Amino acid sequence: MPLASDTVREITALRVRYPQPRSAILPCLWAVQNELGYLSAEGMEEVAAILDLAPSEVQAVSTFYSMYFAQPAGDHQLLICVNVSCALRGADAIVDHVQSRLGCPSGGTTGDGKFTWESTIECLGACGGAPAMQVNHHFHENLTPDRVDGLLERLRAEPRPSHANGQSVGHVAEALTVKAPSSGPHPPSAETPPAPNAEGPPADTGVSDPAFPAPELPLGEHTEMPGSRSKRSYTKRGSRSAPRKRPRPNAGDL
Amino acid sequence: MAADTTPPAAPEDGLVGITIDGRTARVAKGTLVTDASAILGIHIPVYCAHPKMDPVAVCRMCLVHVEKMPKLQPACATPVSEGMVVSTERADVAKTREGVLEFLLLNHPLDCPVCDRGGECDLQDFAFRYGPQASRFPITEKVHFNKAVPLSDRIELDQERCILCWRCTRYYDEITGEKELVLQERGVHTLVNTFEGKPLTSAFQGNLPEICPVGALTNRKYRFKARPWDLQRTKGVCPTCSYGCNINIDSRDFEIKRFASRDNPLVDDMWLCDRGRDSGPSWNNVERIRRPVLRDATGSREVSVSEAVAAAARSLREVRERHGPSSIAVLGSAENTNEEIWLLQRLARTALETPHLDHQLEAFPDIGPEEHALGIAEIEQCAAVIVLGDEPEREAPVLTLRLFKAQTKRGVAIRRVVAQATRSLVGELPAEGLIGLIADETNREHATALAGELSRSHQVRRMTVTRGVNGRGAKDLGMLPNSGPGYTAVDQAGKAGRHILEASAAGLITGLVVMGGSVWSASVTPLLERVAAALEVLVVIDTRPGPLSRAATVLIPGHAIFEKGGTVTNMEGRVQRVRPALPPATQTPSETRILSALAAELGAAGWPGDHLLINRELVTAVPAYARAGNGGRALFEAAVRA
Ligand code: SF4
Ligand code: SF4
Ligand code: FES
Ligand code: FES
Repeated sequence: MPLASDTVREITALRVRYPQPRSAILPCLWAVQNELGYLSAEGMEEVAAILDLAPSEVQAVSTFYSMYFAQPAGDHQLLICVNVSCALRGADAIVDHVQSRLGCPSGGTTGDGKFTWESTIECLGACGGAPAMQVNHHFHENLTPDRVDGLLERLRAEPRPSHANGQSVGHVAEALTVKAPSSGPHPPSAETPPAPNAEGPPADTGVSDPAFPAPELPLGEHTEMPGSRSKRSYTKRGSRSAPRKRPRPNAGDL
Repeated sequence: MAADTTPPAAPEDGLVGITIDGRTARVAKGTLVTDASAILGIHIPVYCAHPKMDPVAVCRMCLVHVEKMPKLQPACATPVSEGMVVSTERADVAKTREGVLEFLLLNHPLDCPVCDRGGECDLQDFAFRYGPQASRFPITEKVHFNKAVPLSDRIELDQERCILCWRCTRYYDEITGEKELVLQERGVHTLVNTFEGKPLTSAFQGNLPEICPVGALTNRKYRFKARPWDLQRTKGVCPTCSYGCNINIDSRDFEIKRFASRDNPLVDDMWLCDRGRDSGPSWNNVERIRRPVLRDATGSREVSVSEAVAAAARSLREVRERHGPSSIAVLGSAENTNEEIWLLQRLARTALETPHLDHQLEAFPDIGPEEHALGIAEIEQCAAVIVLGDEPEREAPVLTLRLFKAQTKRGVAIRRVVAQATRSLVGELPAEGLIGLIADETNREHATALAGELSRSHQVRRMTVTRGVNGRGAKDLGMLPNSGPGYTAVDQAGKAGRHILEASAAGLITGLVVMGGSVWSASVTPLLERVAAALEVLVVIDTRPGPLSRAATVLIPGHAIFEKGGTVTNMEGRVQRVRPALPPATQTPSETRILSALAAELGAAGWPGDHLLINRELVTAVPAYARAGNGGRALFEAAVRA
């Protein structure tokens, strides 16, 4: 199915923003995923055609990043950070909780097609509010199992966000081509709050979401979240078991 | 003292000095440490580095110690600088190599006994030579990938065996430009794949298993056919087209198992096309002519080769006595070696005294060496290259890779235009520098016209893609009705190939000698059948049965090109040796010996029959071939209009 003309316009606008067309692959793929909810083969081929690249190059880039979906995804996409700051602050408990609530493994989609979730996400850049997750281009920080429950309940009632959810890449592209080159490329601007008139969940401005009171616990009590360092939590995420303790190489050997 | 620490001034020779493991050499600026070490005979193991590709330094196998550098350096990406002191023997280098290999083998399957690459695998070899005794990682924890994924009908990929050296992806990026293979996913999950797993379509896939340093990419046509140490390797020349790619013929049990590339930077640059690569094994199961046969109205019978030669001479003499010498014609082919061509044209001109001889069907009214002036490697030195039509690249596919290299690595402008292009269609050309003009034989006139126009403003050199492995040699040595050996003039021009056949069908020519005619295209089969029915005497020396051999009054088996010795000339005039890789499929002597025996029966005794002796005679008569020697280009100075 060919891409919508809006998306094609976005991709075409993005192409000229970079000296090398291949530099535009990432934002162009965002435009495709914004439209289709995932990256279809035809979508990638179309991006490749517009950027004058081989489709294989586009797919090589898309598979490198875990936040592009190769399969049609659910209405709401939950990406849970498991990188070090979030892990220290209890991301594993959040992963466990989401899994038990949604009933499908990481990377899967719930039977009703409502949710797709991923727990192989690396640092989202929201470490300040760890543990964090990204839902449809919005960050939700300082998560606790309770807050996750509330969030899931709210999302379940919401329809699939429209294309304009988050920031449309095209708007960024157009704005930047008109404006001075001083502002660097920043698609798909996950951190950017949605435009005031945009549909979608309320802006998530760090800890100040009124629906979720900020956790009162002092920081120190979060760093030793039970289970966050267990071997089980390692293997569960598809990593190999924790390496055995081995004598350190003797500097004299080198 | 400051003066004591100053190294002695380096000699002003434009070279840089390097010491590796105590051995010193002076090498050209920009030489990589790996290449310098090869000059010094010191082995540095490499995986990602490849002589035809730019360095990427991703595998870390080649790390060496460079004095004054804080960390080990990748030798494959470190250019030599003056006074550099490299060590490959230090304990830290050895330890790093062990570590790199331990990591490469981390998820590598224990496949060697069932891996097609075993015996010629760099992973096996380096693990044996530089690797750790044992892995510290438990075998049960290996990450598994797909095995034996067919990428096309030629190539199979074992994703588990891949060491992610990027050679195959860079090959598609830098060498062919087709970008079919890429790396997908990330980290431990990285794998080589095509877009959406679609099959490969390149015409140069056969090179992949050769560049892959391990058994990840294997050739499905060769898989499980032989172990490399059982193969007998013979240097040869690809028999499929006139580009003359150098090959290694790997055979076992009297069968060709594969054609492997043999790097000649001036010709193939180590790449082969799939058509050529597949042509070797395709000879294993073809029907061959194995015994001499005499045929007359009463039927056919197998005879000894001397009987066949005597009968051929007798019947040809009869025809000449009855109808005169010009009722006889001689056809060679572009598949014959230079030595065979030499004897055959001599047989026609002096023993049979006929002007009608040719090696192909088309008539070339004027033919001169200026249309072969451009060399293959010289393409890279041109400012622009014009390719007329798609025939040249269809005829000689490896030309495409040379053009791509010239374009991407040397900045040569490549213009692919229609065969009939005129000056205006070619567009703007660089004002300075050499212009190459490439056409095939069917578009010679267009090329001549365009070259005429261009040469008013530019320096133009032409390349003509000839047909058949030795089409060029056949022309150089005068297997033509209108040109003698070395493009010398002939007293009387005879009939060209197709006219010979037409005259034979019409009964004007009654005796025909054909050597190697089985390769002519199927489109002339009806004509050949009429010829066969009309001729009184048809002497055929050939390897495979065809319309003519089935009706021959005298049939003598020939040797295939990899069953005999001799030389062939590629389209740029490079004279290259072929050697017997297999015993002949017939017990009869080689074509050259048969021709000299036939000449003797016709009254011209004393012709050499051995290809080396014939070659000696040939280079005396054609000085360009003497200058070319073995592997050089035969260049003809003055064009003699024939
Ligand atoms: S690729 Fe080399 S090391 Fe790996 S299984 Fe094959 S032969 Fe053995
Ligand atoms: S398939 Fe072979 S050539 Fe390609 S990356 Fe893997 S090891 Fe290297
Ligand atoms: S570690 Fe989770 S957002 Fe940075
Ligand atoms: S060969 Fe030097 S890093 Fe791979």
